[in-house]
Amino acid sequence: MSPLTRADATRYLASRLTDEVVVSNLGQASLDLLAIADRPLNCYTFGAMGQCSSIGLGIAIGRPDVRVICLDGDGSLLMNLGSLCTIAAEAPRNYVLMVWDNEVHQTTGGQPTATARRASLVAIARGAGIEKSLEVRTLDELERAVDRILAEDGPLVVVVKVDRGSTTAAFDPDVIGEPARFRKALAAR
Amino acid sequence: MTDQSWAKHVADVLRRNDIRLYATVPDFIVSHVLDELWADPECRVVTTTREEEAVGLLSGAWLAGQRGALLMQNSGLGNCTNALASLNVASRVPLVLVMSQRGDLGEFNPAQVPMGRALTRILDALGIRWIRPTSIAELERQADGVIQLCYVSGQPVAIVLPTELTGGKKG
Repeated sequence: MSPLTRADATRYLASRLTDEVVVSNLGQASLDLLAIADRPLNCYTFGAMGQCSSIGLGIAIGRPDVRVICLDGDGSLLMNLGSLCTIAAEAPRNYVLMVWDNEVHQTTGGQPTATARRASLVAIARGAGIEKSLEVRTLDELERAVDRILAEDGPLVVVVKVDRGSTTAAFDPDVIGEPARFRKALAAR
Repeated sequence: MTDQSWAKHVADVLRRNDIRLYATVPDFIVSHVLDELWADPECRVVTTTREEEAVGLLSGAWLAGQRGALLMQNSGLGNCTNALASLNVASRVPLVLVMSQRGDLGEFNPAQVPMGRALTRILDALGIRWIRPTSIAELERQADGVIQLCYVSGQPVAIVLPTELTGGKKG
């Protein structure tokens, strides 16, 4: 079985979306999502490294009627592990955290993160109290995980082990316009 | 002698400006405001593990249409400075910060002093408008206006709670 790429996983997830909110981490996750499946209900992030999962939690709390899927990265989530404890405690049913775990800080040149050594994000998520935490490594496993995140009550954490490699997608510097577009689209939904 | 009703005045000004979602890393002084909010069934208070996480959460809530305020000690400002700069200031995401000012008049702990001294200069460096009311009357004169400014300008603002208003922490 060939390993997943982040772009393939993004493409597959996007093919299953309807009116969910997707919050993407700064750097690779946002660049891929923008290039592959731009839509008004995408909330791209540009700064505040580490905060993707928390921004998504706030959206899920603010709009309990909408399913919120965060696309975080291993390096960023490792900066904000406390977020997993808060997600577990608040336990929003409409909240999903997916992590593109390629075991490196991709944007800064591919330096290994702690998941390349001993750390397991899925074990940390379970330890934080999120029972529905799973790890996927193949497209087949990803398909079954997406079945679950679109159907089950959250919170869910899905750690997707993906290949290393930088996206070639272009950076969109519209740090004011993109969040404003998202806010308007969510208000209209 | 400190008028202990200051905390209810702070809670009231937040609530009358339609803020119902709060995130906090608790602090002794700010806990008096939290007591008011926890007792209010219309308010939701989320305790985060770190102030930066609260900035992310409340920013997400605003993108989802809800106003929010972050209650913390001024030491927490150091823990969330980058998030405030690169998310709220850069992307025009408004957020009300309410923070006690440790490390100023009557402080007993030397470790609090450097952040107490740096507090308003950090806010100034980020371009964040702040008020620092030393009495309930001053709070009532300024706080509604600074919250209105927050949402009109799309920028974070800060309400700093000094010892003169709160009585501080005695040790």
